Amino acid sequence: MANTLKTYLDAVRASLEACLCLTTFPSQQVERHNKPEIEVQSSKELLLTPLVVARNEDEKVLIESSVNSVRISLKIKQMDGMDQLLAHWFCRFLMQRAEQFIVLRRKAVDGFDLSFLITNTNLEKMWKHKLIDFVITFMEEVDKE
Amino acid sequence: MILLEINNRIVEDTLRQKFDNALAGNKPDSVDITIADFDGVLYHISNPGGDKTKVMISISLKFYKELQEHGADTLLQREYGPFITSTEQGYDVSLLFDLEAVPADKDEVVKKAGLLKRNCFASVFEKYFQFQQEGQEGQERAVIHYRDDETMYVEAKKDRVTVIFSTVFKDDDDVVIGKVFMQEFKEGRKASHQAPQVLYSHREPPLELQGTDAATGDNIAYITFVLYPRHINKNARDNTINLIHTFRDYLHYHIKCSKAYIHSRMRAKTSDFLKVLNRARPENNVKEKRTITGRSFQQRN
Repeated sequence: MANTLKTYLDAVRASLEACLCLTTFPSQQVERHNKPEIEVQSSKELLLTPLVVARNEDEKVLIESSVNSVRISLKIKQMDGMDQLLAHWFCRFLMQRAEQFIVLRRKAVDGFDLSFLITNTNLEKMWKHKLIDFVITFMEEVDKE
Repeated sequence: MILLEINNRIVEDTLRQKFDNALAGNKPDSVDITIADFDGVLYHISNPGGDKTKVMISISLKFYKELQEHGADTLLQREYGPFITSTEQGYDVSLLFDLEAVPADKDEVVKKAGLLKRNCFASVFEKYFQFQQEGQEGQERAVIHYRDDETMYVEAKKDRVTVIFSTVFKDDDDVVIGKVFMQEFKEGRKASHQAPQVLYSHREPPLELQGTDAATGDNIAYITFVLYPRHINKNARDNTINLIHTFRDYLHYHIKCSKAYIHSRMRAKTSDFLKVLNRARPENNVKEKRTITGRSFQQRN
């Protein structure tokens, strides 16, 4: 069990390091606006193919990236009613405090439990490797619970 | 796990204080307190007719009529004998204590006063335990609607007494936690062979109640306790009654405690995550730079 976790997290880390190469990109639709293209999805050329790293049916990570933003969605392993309840509560708790967490998205993507949104401005303020560490630590901790 | 107290602390403390006051020879104060207890039970402590030397304790239970059918009055007579008085308006039972004639065993009396609610319940149980001991069968089931949507059924058979609680979970999450609790209760027999058998049924009433107008629904659960003679004999009887009449409150109290505990754990975890995230931000050193001529300016991010 622990073995697959390590390889799983390594795969996620490698994918994140590759995808988190963001640069600022002013909106092509509206003058003087700078929007996260992954959320707006204004034009096909700015989006990269979404990538799924799956450990098994119940645990996966969806990484959708674009030129200036990346959306990372997690699905947490839930084996029975109690697990489902706890995961649901915990994610809701975190999402309510999304402002404090900066990179957290207030609503998770459909079919997933938690979503992060990282934009180029976030990367300008924070170390990239530390940010990836954060995401990986998060996944590890949740798995432990 | 914590067991809920079966006596009412407030009633006990007030009465004890009044007795001690009277014994010390101080002038008695007036008292008018309304106390709420589990299951919608109300106590009222007052001075009847404004007489400060007399303290009346009244209790009101919404389902007192049902308890009366099962002999609550006789049991209360037995326990409180001299203290029972004419019932106050709007209440079901009243006890009168005279501060000028403080009884010799005042601690006992104070304790008994605190157990007023428990004794009201006890009558039903004692009656059915008696049936089982005498081997009488075919007696009608006792139905007590001790809460608005919740009922308790007591039935005596030849070799056991079954007590069935119906309880409503107002929150869907409570249902899941309740189930986990009940799993543990069911397995209680493994821990101790003395433990009564517990059965749990979600949504549907158990077989014994099929055909009656027992409620069904997603948020409703039925818990059945099967009490055997060793729980019902004279030695264990009081303890059994003490524990079983507050069972529903005990269950819900612990569900709420678990939720609160989970919440505090989540809070702790959240602050941990926040710490990790803040490590990702580089320190913002305000660098002050100077030019040769001496003008200084700060780097702004």
